[in-house]
Amino acid sequence: MKITLSQESEAQIILASEKRNVFLEGNILKLLETENESFQEYLNKALELDTEVRKKRLDITKKFQDQNKSLQEKATENEQLMVEIREALEKAEHAKKTALNDLDVMQQKSQFELIGSIVQIALRVIVGVGIIVTGMYLFAMYSQSTETTLIGNTWSNLFGILLTNSFSIIGTIMGVKYATNDSGSKEKKDEQ
Amino acid sequence: MIKSILLVDDENLFHLVFEDACSLLDITLDLRTLSSAESAEELFKVWQNDPTDKPECVFVDLNIIGSAFDGIELVRRINYLYGNGVVVGIISSSADQAEINRSVLAGSQFWIVKSDEIEPRLEAFREDYDKYKDRTKDFTVYK
Repeated sequence: MKITLSQESEAQIILASEKRNVFLEGNILKLLETENESFQEYLNKALELDTEVRKKRLDITKKFQDQNKSLQEKATENEQLMVEIREALEKAEHAKKTALNDLDVMQQKSQFELIGSIVQIALRVIVGVGIIVTGMYLFAMYSQSTETTLIGNTWSNLFGILLTNSFSIIGTIMGVKYATNDSGSKEKKDEQ
Repeated sequence: MIKSILLVDDENLFHLVFEDACSLLDITLDLRTLSSAESAEELFKVWQNDPTDKPECVFVDLNIIGSAFDGIELVRRINYLYGNGVVVGIISSSADQAEINRSVLAGSQFWIVKSDEIEPRLEAFREDYDKYKDRTKDFTVYK
């Protein structure tokens, strides 16, 4: 299907190109047909310009396409990196929690060990003093010493003091143990 | 010259590339572009009853992002649901053999690999076009 314009239209189109440098463009140029030599020249020139413009546009569009592709690839890479960073952060956070827990356990262990040593020493002292005083009392009784009343009073006083002290130590130990457990569970709750 | 072409591709920049390449190579004067497989399917439903504006040749992108189904499925529907009557094939940046085999089963007549140098492939396709139209040419991959 070919299109033929009137002579007047052809003249006006040529005039527009000469005076205002305006040319027809696009596929319509491939459909126009003429017997007018000057309009044929115009069509040839318009087609040439159109081809140049299309080539330029094609090159630019291809460049844009390439840039788009590389941008998309970079965006995908960035996304992947972000995922990896998030995973690494989660792992680090987990490692930190584990280390803190381990430290807490170690601290509690050393505290319990210390408490255990104190208890052992205190009990040994109490038992030692108790045995010595009881021995002295028994010795005084068997040797029919006149000082049994005094030693007896001293023994009962000492034993009372020792028992009081031992209960006091046990109470302190229980208190320390309770406080340690309580602060530990609070920390765990805070972490959660 | 091919009377009319329909391009189904989600990438608008490629519409421009294809349009300019077709114009520079005198492949067609009548090019229609669509961005989704669904809109192409809708048109084929219409053309099944009224084939007035039906294109002569259809180029379908393999992965049409934003569509419910891919290009090969569109080719299959064109061939098996909407009466065919067109030269239809895939245009894709991929040249995956498994996908190519799938497209052959769906009834694709050609596979053009998209790249920076699309013009030589389109020229080669234009040379073979009449054979595709007569159904005398076997499936070809233009790499």
